[in-house]
Amino acid sequence: MMTFRLEINPALCTGCRTCELACAFTHTKNQKPGRSRIYPIAYAPDKYVPVTCLQCDDPACVKSCMFDALRRNEQTGAIERDMERCVKCGACVAACPFGCALMDDVHDEIVKCDLCGGDPACARFCPTKALEYKRIA
Amino acid sequence: MLLAVIRREGIDIPALCDHPAIEPAGNCRLCMVEITKEGWGGRTKYVTSCLYPVEDGLIVSTHTPQLIEIRKTILDLLLARSPNSEVIQKMAEEYGIYKTSYETIPDGDNCIACYACTRICETLGKNAISAVLRGHDKKIGPPFDEPPPDCIGCLACAHICPTGVIKWHDKDNIRTIWNKDFELISCRLCGKKIITRDFADYLIEQRNIPKDYFDTCDDCKRVELAAKMGGIVNQVEEAAS
Repeated sequence: MMTFRLEINPALCTGCRTCELACAFTHTKNQKPGRSRIYPIAYAPDKYVPVTCLQCDDPACVKSCMFDALRRNEQTGAIERDMERCVKCGACVAACPFGCALMDDVHDEIVKCDLCGGDPACARFCPTKALEYKRIA
Repeated sequence: MLLAVIRREGIDIPALCDHPAIEPAGNCRLCMVEITKEGWGGRTKYVTSCLYPVEDGLIVSTHTPQLIEIRKTILDLLLARSPNSEVIQKMAEEYGIYKTSYETIPDGDNCIACYACTRICETLGKNAISAVLRGHDKKIGPPFDEPPPDCIGCLACAHICPTGVIKWHDKDNIRTIWNKDFELISCRLCGKKIITRDFADYLIEQRNIPKDYFDTCDDCKRVELAAKMGGIVNQVEEAAS
């Protein structure tokens, strides 16, 4: 049973990209925004949506994975990848309807939001609370 | 299996053909360990840890002088078969072998016949490649060296290969592997190449993923999601004002 969810409220997002830096640094100890798992995208001038994995209820990435390398962590609600099992075939990258699983060619791994194991850095650092990690049940 | 426990405990022993996604086969022989039990009267046995089940009371040694000697011999033999493989060179160097003492295969292809590729293909239910020919000519490939009809161009074999032997290339919208040409799907918006048409068809049929998930690349899908969510925000704001 999923009990937590990362809520995205684009109306509050100012496009400061703090989430991107927090994410990249948390996961890679590298502040390069290109290594982030969250992507603030402008849909209109000065209007942003911080796009990240929505941890779908019926996830296409999990269904597409032929080696059982993607599984839901019931506690955090995140779909986590098991890099040991992953063979980098790219099925999840192609199957995700929102484009939120990425192939990192440089570091040869699949990059995907794992909600930081239950304490998402993006939500912690978001100054306007456009991103909030909330208990839902 | 025993190897998983050894890995969990952080003990470093080499292994080439083990991968959690496939069934263990014990083909590379590098994960050899020495086992004994109290009731065995001091006798020991050498087993491949990737194939040996864990049991109570098992006493496992991973770095006895004999085992190091065994590993050196195996690495020496692997190096003779794959003199140009960086992975094996590095492993051998750790055991103090810089040059093989055996005769090398002059036109060796670095394949150590660990069957990781055929096993992963089997896991997929495709079985497009297998060991072909026998004896000296034995190699991994499609039947009769013809383009394998069951291959879907997913590259799982190429990615799992411990020595990186399996070659493929993408040119324009054609991917070539095992002498077979595959059509790559291009993103309908930006033209970026996604996966092969056959791989997408496999996922659509076997995994019940909607067909339209595969016509756009991940970059464009994110922009589309942002636009969709932005549209909702605009609607809500309009309704409020």
